[in-house]
Amino acid sequence: MKWLLSLFGRKPELTREQAARLAAWRALPLPVLDTEFAASRYVVVDVETSGLNLARDRLIAIGAVAIADGEIRLADSMEIVVQQQRISDHANILIHGIGGTAQAEGVPPAEAMLAFLEYLGRSPLIAFHVTFDKTMIDRALKTGLGLAFKHPWSDLAYVAPALYPELASANRSLDDWMGRFGISNYARHSALADALSTAELMLALRERMRTRHVGNFRNLVHLEKAQRMTIWAG
Amino acid sequence: MVTPNSLILATADQLARFAPFDSMEREHLIWLALRLRLDYYARGEVVLGPEAGPAEIFYIIKQGAIHGEQDVARAQDANDWLELHEGECFPLGALLSRRAVASTYRAGQDTFCFELAAADFRELLKRSEAFHDFCTRRLANLLEQSKQVIQAEYAKSSSEQQSMSSTLASLIRGDPVTCAPETPLRQVLGTMHRLAIGSMVAVDAHGKPLGIFTLHDLLHRVVLAGISLDVPFHAVMSPDPETLPPHALAHDAALTMARRGFRHILVAENGRLQGLISEKDLFSLQRVGLRQISGAIRGADHLDKLKHSANDIRQLAHNMLAQGVATEQFTQIISTLNDLLTRRTIELELRDDPAAVLSFCWLALDAEGRMEQTLGSDQHNGIVFTAHEDEDAEAIRAVLLPFAKRVNLALAQYGFPLSTTMASNAQWCLSLQEWKHTCAGWIARGDALDQAAIFFDLRPVAGADSLAMDLRAWQTTAISPRFLGQMAAHALRNAPPHGSVLDFFAGKGGTLDIECNGSALFVDAARVFSLAAGGGHTTLERLRASCQALGVSTQDAQAWCDAFLFIQLLRLRLHREGHGVDPDKLNGLDKRILREAFRQARKLQARLAQVVRE
Repeated sequence: MKWLLSLFGRKPELTREQAARLAAWRALPLPVLDTEFAASRYVVVDVETSGLNLARDRLIAIGAVAIADGEIRLADSMEIVVQQQRISDHANILIHGIGGTAQAEGVPPAEAMLAFLEYLGRSPLIAFHVTFDKTMIDRALKTGLGLAFKHPWSDLAYVAPALYPELASANRSLDDWMGRFGISNYARHSALADALSTAELMLALRERMRTRHVGNFRNLVHLEKAQRMTIWAG
Repeated sequence: MVTPNSLILATADQLARFAPFDSMEREHLIWLALRLRLDYYARGEVVLGPEAGPAEIFYIIKQGAIHGEQDVARAQDANDWLELHEGECFPLGALLSRRAVASTYRAGQDTFCFELAAADFRELLKRSEAFHDFCTRRLANLLEQSKQVIQAEYAKSSSEQQSMSSTLASLIRGDPVTCAPETPLRQVLGTMHRLAIGSMVAVDAHGKPLGIFTLHDLLHRVVLAGISLDVPFHAVMSPDPETLPPHALAHDAALTMARRGFRHILVAENGRLQGLISEKDLFSLQRVGLRQISGAIRGADHLDKLKHSANDIRQLAHNMLAQGVATEQFTQIISTLNDLLTRRTIELELRDDPAAVLSFCWLALDAEGRMEQTLGSDQHNGIVFTAHEDEDAEAIRAVLLPFAKRVNLALAQYGFPLSTTMASNAQWCLSLQEWKHTCAGWIARGDALDQAAIFFDLRPVAGADSLAMDLRAWQTTAISPRFLGQMAAHALRNAPPHGSVLDFFAGKGGTLDIECNGSALFVDAARVFSLAAGGGHTTLERLRASCQALGVSTQDAQAWCDAFLFIQLLRLRLHREGHGVDPDKLNGLDKRILREAFRQARKLQARLAQVVRE
């Protein structure tokens, strides 16, 4: 019931070494959001969870790929399975393919989330349907490390239709946009493979970004905000 | 090392579906995947172009398609246009030779490319043999393509192709007609008439050929000689006929016919007659026959006739290029005919000349000496003569020089331009003792490396062969390691042009000296190899011999030979324009191969430098 307890704000116990690593991450300089894409690093993530309930379900795996200086670096990628106290149900396992043993033998939460932070650094995050990934990651950082994770995110689910309004109605899911740009996926619903496909989508969107003068992460955030307003205004 | 995650493993898996990655070791694929970057190119976007400078990235198409476009000006060659798909990679040639690409690579559709930095590409070449093989084999394929293009260029004149590299076994038309040596001539002639054949071979009980008689022999050996038709066949036949094994090539038969003036070559295996090859079988399609030319040269009684033969040799050369005769065989045949031409000229010039009584040998030097003469190259020759201790070498030379002058001028008339290295130049007309003295001086001082190089490639053409052989044998004993080092250093000073040199010249009307900056690189290195390790008179022989003596891999030696042959072929094709090659006139394929040839030259020089250090 440790996870329940942690929900109520009990501070996780970190070893001295872990605390030092967390402090080191906190001490990193904040990201400069005005650096042009061609000269900056950002990280595209995708998560696998025990289900789709934002309030109740747990983070099982994180997959992440970096885009540095405008290109995806295959070696600059990570995937980590977070150790589970309770194995997710059968139907869930069939989706992401991370079996019971793998879940039980995953990396302990504090260690897993520290590894994620150290990989991430202060690079801004990109995902498709950010709300889901962000909620899961925020909570895992809170329960695992006691960290209130305030980080810049950008959501391609809003950016893509903002750049391609003519395609917006026909393309809603990640699969739709992948199909539009001919992006393949070596293992759909594996966090890392989906992160790669999302990263490829990011590269493919770049051409239209150039014509729309979206040259850095701050522009991207503004574009996304405007798109949310458009949708909200209906 | 980073533990490969599922992305790296999946990338390795994806690559392993395509050549050459399918034959690479897993470990190398992981190594590669860890170093790959991924980029996207929208349809129509330029991925890479000549203006980008030396290629710095190796591209593997992950998905999509890339089109290669040659400059509009050269777009007429369909081979220049290419389309690359998933799993294919580019630009190999540019990366290997560290130059800019010749084509513009453009995304034909939305395309993702894996990209590898040039330094990592080179490292992978070293690590993975399969990858290295793929890159080099691909160039071998290019060479093959280039040969086909040349053949097509020259083939317009002949409707049917006949390869000089087919075996004699494949050219034999049927069982040979034979008789016993005791058969009366009358009976043999009857058989020849009945079967409408031009020749008869006498064999013993085991099928061993003893002699041959042709209709050509009938006139002077029988009719004019007034011999009875009742004599046995062996009385009129040419005994001990030349035979070649069935696996010998058409080219060998042609060479033998030219050298010996035969019209027929017997094919025998284990001493048993298998068949007969006539000149017609070899050159039925050619307007100018090899033996016809050699016969004409032998029978020529005037320089004008030899001049005519020189033209025929050029025509034959053209036909042989059309037939796709390999460069090595081609230069051998042409050298053989040129030798005959020189020999006959010398015979004619010696008639009623005081030089006729002297003991001397006419030497072919430099390219001629290596049997690597291309069409219309400068003549390089010399004379070595006998001068006993009590004789005055100067006096003998005074007799030889006017004669040599006439021969040199005649050769110039045939189309071999005059040079300073000629027998009529007193410097190159020396007695055996003088030659040894001169050459020993060069070796001791190391101050005349160019002359020495010319002189080390000597070959007897006419006169007393033994004098030339004596010189050759003496050379190998006279060379010092110090002198070898000087020769090597001299060769190394001539660095192969960099890939970018071709681009530099392109469009500026400049030319590249294909002899000095091309073949000489190989010739000079091969000479040092042969002097150091012994063996071989032609550059190819020397390079091949070096792989045994110097521990060069057969593959490397073959690549050097291929590169040298390609440059020689280029020279043959471009001979009308002299030694200068205008890169604008080369097609994309030739340029790529030429750059590869220069890369091989760099490898060869690196090996030479190593040999010298050892």
